[in-house]
Amino acid sequence: MRLPAAAPITLFGGRQAPGIKGAIIIVLLYLGGCATWQAPETLDDSALRTRAVSETVMDVTLSASVLSSEDSQQLFATDLNGNGVQPVWIEVQNNSTHTLWLLRAGTDPNYYSPLEVAWPLHARFDKKGNDEIDEYFDSRSFENPVPPGVTHSGILFTNPHRGTHVLNVDLLGQQTFFPFTLFLPIPGEFDERVAIAMRRQSTTSYTNYQDADTFRAALEQLPCCTSGGDPVNLVLVGEIDDLGAAFVRRGYRALYIENDDRQQLFERPPDIVVRKSGDGVTANWMRMWASTLRYQDQPVVLAQTGRPIGGRFALASSNKPQLHPDIDESRDLLIQDLVYSGGLAQLGFVGGVGTVPETLSENADSNSRYHTDGLRAVLFFVTRPLAISDIEFLDWVPVLQQLEAEATEKNTDK
Amino acid sequence: MGTRCAARYLLTVASLVILISGCASTGQPSELEKKPYTERLETRINGGLRVSISVLSDAESESVYGVPLAKKGIQPVWIEVENNDDVAYWLLSPGLDPNFFPASEAAEAFAGAGGQTSPALSRHFAQLAFRNPIPPGNTVSGFVLTNRDEGVKMVELDLMASDQLKSFSAISHVPGFRADFHDRDIQNREFYTPGEVTNYTDDAAFRAALEALPCCVTNKKGTRHGDPLNLVIIGDSDVIFSSLVRRGWHMTEATYAGSIKKMMNSVLSGERYRYSPVSPLYLYERSQDIALQKARDNIHQRNHLRLWMSPMQYHGKPVWVGQISRDIGTRLTIHSPYLTTHKIDPDIDEALVALIEDVAYSQNLSKIGLAKGVGAATREAPRQNLTTDPYFTNGLRGVLIFDTTPTSLGDIGFLPWEGREGGMVNESIKRNQQ
Repeated sequence: MRLPAAAPITLFGGRQAPGIKGAIIIVLLYLGGCATWQAPETLDDSALRTRAVSETVMDVTLSASVLSSEDSQQLFATDLNGNGVQPVWIEVQNNSTHTLWLLRAGTDPNYYSPLEVAWPLHARFDKKGNDEIDEYFDSRSFENPVPPGVTHSGILFTNPHRGTHVLNVDLLGQQTFFPFTLFLPIPGEFDERVAIAMRRQSTTSYTNYQDADTFRAALEQLPCCTSGGDPVNLVLVGEIDDLGAAFVRRGYRALYIENDDRQQLFERPPDIVVRKSGDGVTANWMRMWASTLRYQDQPVVLAQTGRPIGGRFALASSNKPQLHPDIDESRDLLIQDLVYSGGLAQLGFVGGVGTVPETLSENADSNSRYHTDGLRAVLFFVTRPLAISDIEFLDWVPVLQQLEAEATEKNTDK
Repeated sequence: MGTRCAARYLLTVASLVILISGCASTGQPSELEKKPYTERLETRINGGLRVSISVLSDAESESVYGVPLAKKGIQPVWIEVENNDDVAYWLLSPGLDPNFFPASEAAEAFAGAGGQTSPALSRHFAQLAFRNPIPPGNTVSGFVLTNRDEGVKMVELDLMASDQLKSFSAISHVPGFRADFHDRDIQNREFYTPGEVTNYTDDAAFRAALEALPCCVTNKKGTRHGDPLNLVIIGDSDVIFSSLVRRGWHMTEATYAGSIKKMMNSVLSGERYRYSPVSPLYLYERSQDIALQKARDNIHQRNHLRLWMSPMQYHGKPVWVGQISRDIGTRLTIHSPYLTTHKIDPDIDEALVALIEDVAYSQNLSKIGLAKGVGAATREAPRQNLTTDPYFTNGLRGVLIFDTTPTSLGDIGFLPWEGREGGMVNESIKRNQQ
């Protein structure tokens, strides 16, 4: 199968050189001949079903798997993956009494519509052929809504993830909601870290804290830093699924770079590292480690958040970014971002990182590469999405009061 | 760095040092108050909170920051919050722009040779930044650095306290540009005289009025039909536009020569360009009151919506009527004087549903409904818009009701109106009838 000459290869975010090359593409686009695309002769989704990951929430079961290039060739007679699309097969078995609506913007805020994916296959002057292509892509895509007692399956055209696709699926009913988070392996990109982290999550023996004060004390006793010296400045409390859903809704995805492994905690590299991907997005990372702590039966994840020097303006080719010294700024802005995830319920601060004044980090003779108020933020996540006005501030370390006092004092001084 | 460049850089740093030391010695916010941008403040009051904002032009931002922020696509928004409530508030920068720039990162955009950012520059940026929290009885002001908008900017301010959120939105003019929003202030201008406005409090009558709206936009003369009017948005401007901004929508640049030139370059290079011209479509004998877009990876992929304020209200809230489409590429056309146009996704309902799903995450969508009025067009016999793009539709228009009080995803309700067979709306009709 050959892509028709009309296919504009820049369509899915490719970065082509401007000028003459672009002009050639436009001309080809305009003059392209008949479509060469042929619908696949057989429809076999058994491989996708076999390796599907499933989860049931109340009476609704979601199954999903990521298509490889070969799968998309088989299902769509073209390599969608090669064009920057990662198709995901989804099946919803609705045994609830609700009619359900899959909110695709929750799965990928920039997902592709079926006819958008089909368009590059179009040829000029071949309306019949183009209609057939559109119809085919439409018929293969996931169809909303899913009435009670009915099972729907189909494809969602998402942007590419690497290693593991953390799939967030929000199914909306009449004033009710079924959220799912699946960790889907990407064919040919086995992500050992995630597999190990998931196993660890289910088998590790842990200490379960019931009381907020003892939990707080335990958090303050945790190591200040990773082996590489970066501060462990974030604690995430909640089921892994709920953390995953919150990250995905804000555009974070698993994305590693070589440098991540230099930061070890509990004698191992990070279990998962998430970043936002794309042009012009925040350069923050979150390196995460599952801990042996639980709070009221909820898993506790330790994390180190920061951003590289240069941020989004640094060269993308740099694989060994240096931690920017203002780590509190990164931490606080990350919290603000997660406020919009709908998954955050409570927010507090504890000590444990150790204060490093700005004067010290600027001193070339000192070993400090950053400055901080010494606090780690503790974020509690829940399944049911909350409005921002439902988020509660915990008065653990009275950081807010301290800041308030400082800000008031500063204003009075003026 | 060349000698001239180095000299300019040193000069900038030196002037910054003077500026900073000047600030430190006087400590007077009046330095800022004298600036022209504080003379065109947009001010909003909600309970004990007063907020004032101003968006800086390229020249103003260079004069305040000492470096050409606009060249890096950065635009500062000056914000002042006076808190006369009894709790402290936090300003949430991602609400203004999901991809805003932390002050330290913006400073690094001006790193010298070897990637070193001058400490004086970093400090200057930090000093200008808006700093949380805003304690009760205090006034705090400073800049949040956003992606650059031309012409006008929709500014959304979310101020958060424990178990509380107060949202403000304002449309601020940026000197030196034009925009689709024909210098008409949505929040202040009266589109209609009081006698022309009908306030609907009866759902059946309101639904009938929505269904009686024209199917489509027209050309300027009103002689040809264009894209279908498939969208009705209800709510106070503050709430509607803040919800859209939170989801990454922003205003568009008007169609004029400079913008066309930029767009042609963008088509050829496939680069992400935040603006592309939106051609005027007509309703109520005028072109759109506001055009918004949500850019995705590059110019080929963006969603467009155009809105007109209607002479209707629903329970006292303004009713906007409009059109939404998904651009899936750019193509050449002879039906536009610019010779290029966006190829729209012919499945126009998909674009509508995508918008509904997107704003479901905005925290302020309270109800969703569907009403007739567009008229169905099948895939086999599609209709055409003004640039001859075909489209098909089930003939329904989406009705979105926004509310000031935040609504979480699981609490969004459905109007018992139209729906696809077995759809969520029909389901709610059944439930309501039980």
